[in-house]
Amino acid sequence: MQHELLIVGLNHRTASVAVRERVALADAQLDDANRRVHALEGVEEAAIVCTCNRVEVVACAQQADHAVDRVTQFLRAEQSDPVPELAEHLYVYRGREAIRHLFRVASSLDSMVIGEPQILGQLKEFYARAASVGATGTILHRCFHKAFSVAKRVRTETGIAGRAVSVSSAAVELALKIFDRLEGKTAMLIGAGKMGALAARHLLAHGVTEMIITNRTFDHAVELAREFRGTPVPFDHFVKYLHLADIVIGATAATSFVLTRQVVHDVLRERKGRPVFCIDLSVPRNFDPGINELGNAYLYDIDDLAGVTEGNLGERAQEAEKAEAIVAHEVEAFWTWLGRLQVVPTIVALREKAEAIRRGELEKTLRIIKDLSPQEREALDALTGAIVNKLLHAPITRLKQRDLRSETFYLDAIRRMFDLEGPDES
Amino acid sequence: MELTFLACSLILYLLATAGFVAHLIARDGAPRLPLLLLALAFALDTTALTIRAATLGGFGIVSFHDQLSLLAWLIVGLYLIVQFRYQLAVVGALVSPLAFLLTLSAYIVYAGVQTLPRNLQTAWLPAHVAPAFLGYAVFAVAFCISLIYLLQESQLKGKRRWAMLRRLPSLETLDELNYRFVAWGFALFTIGIITGSLLAKATWGAFWSWEPVQVLSMLAWLLYAVLLQTRSAGWRGRKAAALTIAGFALLVISFFGVNLVFPGRHSGAFG
Repeated sequence: MQHELLIVGLNHRTASVAVRERVALADAQLDDANRRVHALEGVEEAAIVCTCNRVEVVACAQQADHAVDRVTQFLRAEQSDPVPELAEHLYVYRGREAIRHLFRVASSLDSMVIGEPQILGQLKEFYARAASVGATGTILHRCFHKAFSVAKRVRTETGIAGRAVSVSSAAVELALKIFDRLEGKTAMLIGAGKMGALAARHLLAHGVTEMIITNRTFDHAVELAREFRGTPVPFDHFVKYLHLADIVIGATAATSFVLTRQVVHDVLRERKGRPVFCIDLSVPRNFDPGINELGNAYLYDIDDLAGVTEGNLGERAQEAEKAEAIVAHEVEAFWTWLGRLQVVPTIVALREKAEAIRRGELEKTLRIIKDLSPQEREALDALTGAIVNKLLHAPITRLKQRDLRSETFYLDAIRRMFDLEGPDES
Repeated sequence: MELTFLACSLILYLLATAGFVAHLIARDGAPRLPLLLLALAFALDTTALTIRAATLGGFGIVSFHDQLSLLAWLIVGLYLIVQFRYQLAVVGALVSPLAFLLTLSAYIVYAGVQTLPRNLQTAWLPAHVAPAFLGYAVFAVAFCISLIYLLQESQLKGKRRWAMLRRLPSLETLDELNYRFVAWGFALFTIGIITGSLLAKATWGAFWSWEPVQVLSMLAWLLYAVLLQTRSAGWRGRKAAALTIAGFALLVISFFGVNLVFPGRHSGAFG
């Protein structure tokens, strides 16, 4: 096979953050770096992917051995402060393994937090950047786009991303075990700090309709209330409004309980037994742990929420096995497509298809016009043959010229235009 | 013939139970297979009940056996309707073994063809049995929902996580459904009690005769009435679930007690 896909890079497993930050490319250098990798001898297509957990060069190259060396040198040369044993941190994937790696990265199977959703967006962005400077071509185009669709499939067909792995999303997940839906529900945020605002934002994003905000410094509550279109209430009187809240978030720096068992007990009576979900995000804790003993009150502190996310991570690992199976299947399909993308088989397929059409049509005509002499039949045969050959002459000559940079483009175009693809690759 | 159908549906109930449990563990997709098995079992039970009615010539509920198989049939039918609307696979995981136990009991106590005493052969009997048993079935499903509520609540309160119970519906959904079911069961049960007393007046000459089944049913009825009444005052969630379970326990005692321990006019043999 003439072109080979390869990936040279490092990630959070092979290199510590101290190494990764030295290899990482600044955003401003990226376009230029993409151009220079693309310009390396033997490299036909290239795209650099650089997130906080990985630096990778994805390339399609002739003579992959040499290309790997050149890409490695390139990575070394890019560093202002060279890592002495860079090669120890680098991995190289080629051919089918490279496809598999790219599909796994896109599906978030190679992430530090398996199933985290950001990586797909980042990958799309880095591909677009490489494409914008003309560093990519047909193969990387198909390969990346296939990776995106595989990631989408993994997301919808497995539970890999279905579970909360941050404290805020764990709070939402739990709220949905208590309440059927969050639409129409009211939440109260006690403490307008960063942590509390984050949790409140998550709840609002999942449908919570009303947000009551209180803070010791009232101005901060007003400010945040404006952002959330909520209602600020003074800290001294927040208990008066507590019965309105289905969800209460505690996120103050107070060193004693801002919410006692007795207060919640009275509020529950006022709420006529409708449940209340208390989320205590503070250390030291803001809510009296005794609240959890009250009927219809559910209290989760920061450790409890962390416990939820930990369990979910375990579950993700299980779902990851299903995802791996999907990836394996898709890699084979893509590998088959890539294998077909060669000059000789494409010309043969093109000729066979044209010949089959010609024969079919000729026979149909000869069946209708029966009183033809053998000479006339031969003439018809020659005529149709000549038309087909002349039509195919130009495209086949183009393919045979073997202009390396554009070869895959024409191969792919012809395979698609003449519908020469196999049944398993659409 | 009837028993052959019952035996087949027994196997299907067992398979459906396994299917629902597997579904809860696997946590993916819809529980198609166990639902299909359950629907099939329901069809077999329907056939068995029809055959029984044909054999007895008319109203087919004359013995303990008939009561048990009618109850299983009603509960499964009710669940299938509910599942269609609310998608509560976990309820199916409780209803299937319940139907299995009821059908198994029906199978065991089968005592051939019996006839109804002449004085009970009135239109009041089906008018009493139909709403009362439908009420039983609705309360049985409410009981399952309440059990699930308590499971989900203890998970949330205790911060425990059982892999099998990850798919439980929210507390709010369960509480609301429980309320609706108890309300429907209560209405049906009330009709059953009224028609029952009319039936008693017609056959034995008295509306009320202090039979154990009457007393226990009345207690259960009162309990459910309290449950419905106190909801607006704040008896929701855990308390409501506990009351539903207690009410159902009374019904179970009265149902089995009347047939096995203290036979009276309500027992299958109508001794």
